[in-house]
Amino acid sequence: MPSTPVEQAGQATGQTVLIIDDEPTACVAMAARLKHLGYRVLQAGDGKAGLEVLRRERPDLTIVDWMMPEMDGPSFCEVVRQDDALLSSQILMMTSNDQPEQIAEGLARGADDFLSKAASKYEITARVQAGLRAAGLIRRLEDVTAEIRRKQEALERELQSAARYVESLLPASGSIGPGVQMVCCYRPSLGLGGDLFNVVPWSDDLLGLYLLDASGHGVSPALRSASFSTFLRRESLLRHVGSSDPGAILTEANKHFPLTEDGHYFTIVFATFDVRCQTLSYATAGHGGAFLHRTSGEVCWMARPNLPLGFDPSTVYGTEVLAVEPGDRFYVLSDGLYEVPDSTGTLWGQERLEQLVRTFGHRPLTEVLSGAVNEAVRWLGHEQFPDDVAVMAVELTEADRHE
Amino acid sequence: MAMQTKERSVQNGVILELVGDLTYANREQFKTAVEAIRQKGCRHLILNMAEVRFVDSSGLGLLALISQNFKLSQGKVSMLKPQSYVREIMSLANIQKLIPVYDNEQDALAGQQKAA
Repeated sequence: MPSTPVEQAGQATGQTVLIIDDEPTACVAMAARLKHLGYRVLQAGDGKAGLEVLRRERPDLTIVDWMMPEMDGPSFCEVVRQDDALLSSQILMMTSNDQPEQIAEGLARGADDFLSKAASKYEITARVQAGLRAAGLIRRLEDVTAEIRRKQEALERELQSAARYVESLLPASGSIGPGVQMVCCYRPSLGLGGDLFNVVPWSDDLLGLYLLDASGHGVSPALRSASFSTFLRRESLLRHVGSSDPGAILTEANKHFPLTEDGHYFTIVFATFDVRCQTLSYATAGHGGAFLHRTSGEVCWMARPNLPLGFDPSTVYGTEVLAVEPGDRFYVLSDGLYEVPDSTGTLWGQERLEQLVRTFGHRPLTEVLSGAVNEAVRWLGHEQFPDDVAVMAVELTEADRHE
Repeated sequence: MAMQTKERSVQNGVILELVGDLTYANREQFKTAVEAIRQKGCRHLILNMAEVRFVDSSGLGLLALISQNFKLSQGKVSMLKPQSYVREIMSLANIQKLIPVYDNEQDALAGQQKAA
């Protein structure tokens, strides 16, 4: 008898069909038909044995009889659907009783399609092919999902590696000069932002400090920040700016770091402590995260409305000077610490942060920093900050001040 | 929230009505709409911000970028009626130095005439 195109369809594919049936005659007849169509055929005599073959061979399609000893067809389907490794298997349920109620029950318990034992060979072929089509699509979907997951994991590893690199550029907490203690904290977000901070030791009595934020998320802002931090090294600043004046440094940096073609830019606060003269000079560019907590308890934010770097090449950034005294504390931080939403979307905000700093008073800086991070986490409701968190806190100490 | 844009020609300029958030997620849509207007030779782009609830750091950068691009083609960008939260973000970054802010269309257009 000449084969119809329908009968030929399985021949080139090498797909595997598992038949689970306790009646040897029916099983052999179906196997012969499918082999004739070109499929690789596996057989099992009951549900339990079928599960073992399914696990071992992962066939493209499983044809299972309803009535069987040990484990019947619907129970077999239920087990498969609860097993993560098997649940996407395509199952064709075979029965001699094809009443609508029974079909509904079989589908509800996990079968994908039905095949009557009285079906013609054309119907059997068509249903097997339909099942294999679905199996092929599911397998492709699984492959693509696995590929996406692999790429995602690779990307996350790269982000983590970039975060470790950024961390390697950061200063260590401790004494950063005579009579100046610094404590810092850095928690990169999952997506990695572009926060970076450091200390620029100008001389024994003069200490530069900066905290910058590159707009955007991912490896690109981290790279831009790393490049900016190279510009902000002492030798580079002496060469390009020739001054430790924060305003002059930002005015020059503004020319070196124009907006990117996507409109990305830096915000920064740069401060210089003069330990001998007891002054804090600072300049900001679109950055609002710096404040002085005086021994008197007064908190003085250092936000000046001015353009971020790169917005206008002709901008001249001015320097503000504040008198400081031993015990005063200077905090520079990224908005990632306080721009954290609670479950209703309300931000924790600068005011609550300021209140917390006042409450902690002059307890050790490490306690204030961990207190602030813990409170932000409590507000957020989880540990994963949406943006980078970077804080550097500096205290002028009296005891070991250099006279 | 996604962004919708609608443009309307006025004397000596184009008013671009923005509805939604000016954020990283909507940057392409915003850039495309603005660039199309600039390519047509518009000299004065007026962004109506009345229906913009939020501008993030990426949106701020885009505003600076389009202002620079218009300047390069001898044009300018103005802004109409930003909401108070957006106005606050703008003023912290001193954006009004680059993009003047107006409360109504007449003033925005007059600003353009004054500059000419």
